[in-house]
Amino acid sequence: MVLAGGRGERLYPLTRDRAKPAVPFGAIYRIIDFTLSNCLHSGIRHIYALTQYKSISLNRHIQLGWNILSPPLGEFIEAVPAQQRIDEHWYQGTADAIFQNIYTLQEERPDLVLILSGDHIYKMDYRKMIAFHLERESDLTVAAIRMDRNLSREFGVIEADRDWRMIGFQEKPEEPKTIPGDPGGIMASMGIYIFNTELLVRRLIEDARSESSHDFGKDIIPGMIGKDQVFVFDFRKGDFGGTGYWRDVGTIDAYYEANMDLIAVTPQLNLYDPQWPILTYQPPSPPAKTVWIEERRVGTALNSIISNGCIISGGNVKRSILSPRVTVHSFVEIEDSILLEGIDVGRNAKIKRTIIDKEVQIPPGMEIGYHLDEDAKRFTVTDSGIVVVPKGIRL
Amino acid sequence: MKKKILVVEDEESLRLLYKEELEAEGYEILTAGNGREAIQQLETGKPDLILLDIVMPVMDGMEALGRIVGKERKIPIILNTSYSGYQQDFMSWAADAYVTKSDDLTELKKKIRELLRKGKAR
Repeated sequence: MVLAGGRGERLYPLTRDRAKPAVPFGAIYRIIDFTLSNCLHSGIRHIYALTQYKSISLNRHIQLGWNILSPPLGEFIEAVPAQQRIDEHWYQGTADAIFQNIYTLQEERPDLVLILSGDHIYKMDYRKMIAFHLERESDLTVAAIRMDRNLSREFGVIEADRDWRMIGFQEKPEEPKTIPGDPGGIMASMGIYIFNTELLVRRLIEDARSESSHDFGKDIIPGMIGKDQVFVFDFRKGDFGGTGYWRDVGTIDAYYEANMDLIAVTPQLNLYDPQWPILTYQPPSPPAKTVWIEERRVGTALNSIISNGCIISGGNVKRSILSPRVTVHSFVEIEDSILLEGIDVGRNAKIKRTIIDKEVQIPPGMEIGYHLDEDAKRFTVTDSGIVVVPKGIRL
Repeated sequence: MKKKILVVEDEESLRLLYKEELEAEGYEILTAGNGREAIQQLETGKPDLILLDIVMPVMDGMEALGRIVGKERKIPIILNTSYSGYQQDFMSWAADAYVTKSDDLTELKKKIRELLRKGKAR
C-alpha cells in the first residue's frame, strides 16, 4: 500500500497541479517512480497506490508508465482514489488512509502488508526487510535510518534495544532519544512498515474507534510498543547500492538539492545501474542534440543532464537538469537550474538557480535568478534564493 | 433515562420479536429495515447501541457498519446474523460483538447489558 495522497504544500508551486508523488524528479522521473521501482525489483507485484488530492496527474502517470504487470498472473499496480465508503471526508492521517481501504485489504487478504510512502527518493530491497520481519516473528517492523539529531522535529524517532526490538517511539520530538554511543545521531523512521495483516486490521479498528489523530507515527506505533512484537529494520541492510541515500524532498530547497545531487561525478543515487533501473513513463521523443559551432555561437551542455527531445541551439547550459523537449536558443546562459518538460528559452535569456515548471516560454532576453527582489514580485523565491517559475505561466 | 437500542433487521417478524423482547427488558427501541435507514436513524434517533443484521436489501450490514463507525466512532455495535462466516470479514471486527441468531435471546440480552455498561464507563 503506497501512500500517495500527500499534498506537499511546502513544494508549492510544483504541487499546484499535482500531488507530491507526481512531482517530476531527475529529468524524466516522478517521485513515486522510485518507490514503485523498489517494489518491482523486490518482487512485490500486488500494489495499491492510495491517492486523494489532485490525483489526475498521478493516475495518468501510473496508467501510462506502470501498466507493465501481468493481470492474468494476478499482478497489479492500481491507483485507488479515496473511496469515501466509510468516512465522507479526506483521510485524516496515514492510519486512516489504510483503514478506509479495509474492504480492499479484505479482497486481497495478504499475510503481510507493506506500507510505503510515495514521497521518498531511495533504492531499497524490501525483500531483506521482509526476511527480517519473518525471522524475528515480528508483528510490525519499521525501517529506520540514521539522521542528525538536529533534524528530530521532522521525523519519528525510534529507540531500540540491542536486538533491534523497538522500545520507544517519539513523533517529531524536540528532545529526541539519541543513538547509544552516537549523541549526534537519531534513528529516524522512514515511514516504511511491514505488518502482519490481521494484527494491522485489529489495531486500525481500535484506533478508528477511539479519539486519535489516526496516524501511524503518532498513534498506532507508540500504542503497539510493549504490547506487540515490534522490531526495527536497519536501512543499511536493505539499501541497494549501499550509499545510504534516502531523501524526503519535502521543501523546494530539498527538492533542488536532491536533483542537483544527480549531476555529481559519482552521485550517491546511481540512476545508471543496470541492476536497478528506475522505471517511468516517457513519451517517444527524438534524441537530444546540440547545434552551432561558430566563433561566437556554440551550443554546449556541461556537467548537466539532458533528456530526449532537447535541442541546445547555440546556447550554454551548465550544471543543470533538462527534462524532455527543452529548447535552448542562441546566446542563452542556463546555470544551476532545473527545467521541466516543454520549455523554450528565447535568445539571450539568462537563467540561474531557477526551477522552471512545465510548458513555459521564456521570452528573448529575460533574466531570472539574477535580481531576486524583482523575481520575488512574480515568482516563488526560497530562503536560499532558488526561484520557481510555475507551470504554464505566460511571460 | 431508558437506553435506546436501534434494531436493524429486514425481516419484519424478527424486528417485532426483538422490539417486544427488548422493551420488556426496559429499553427504548428504534427500528430500521436496512443499512440506509439505520444511518438515518443514527442521526435522528441518537441510539446508545445498535443491533445490526448483515444480509439485508438496499444496504447490507457490513457496508452500514463501516459507515456507522465513520460517523459515530464509539457507539457499541452488535452484529446479529444467521451466518457465522462473516466473522472472517475484516470489517466485522469493528463490531463490539458478533452474535449468531437463535430463538433463545439470552446471549444477545447479556451482550447488550455488558456493552451498555461498558458504554457508560467510556
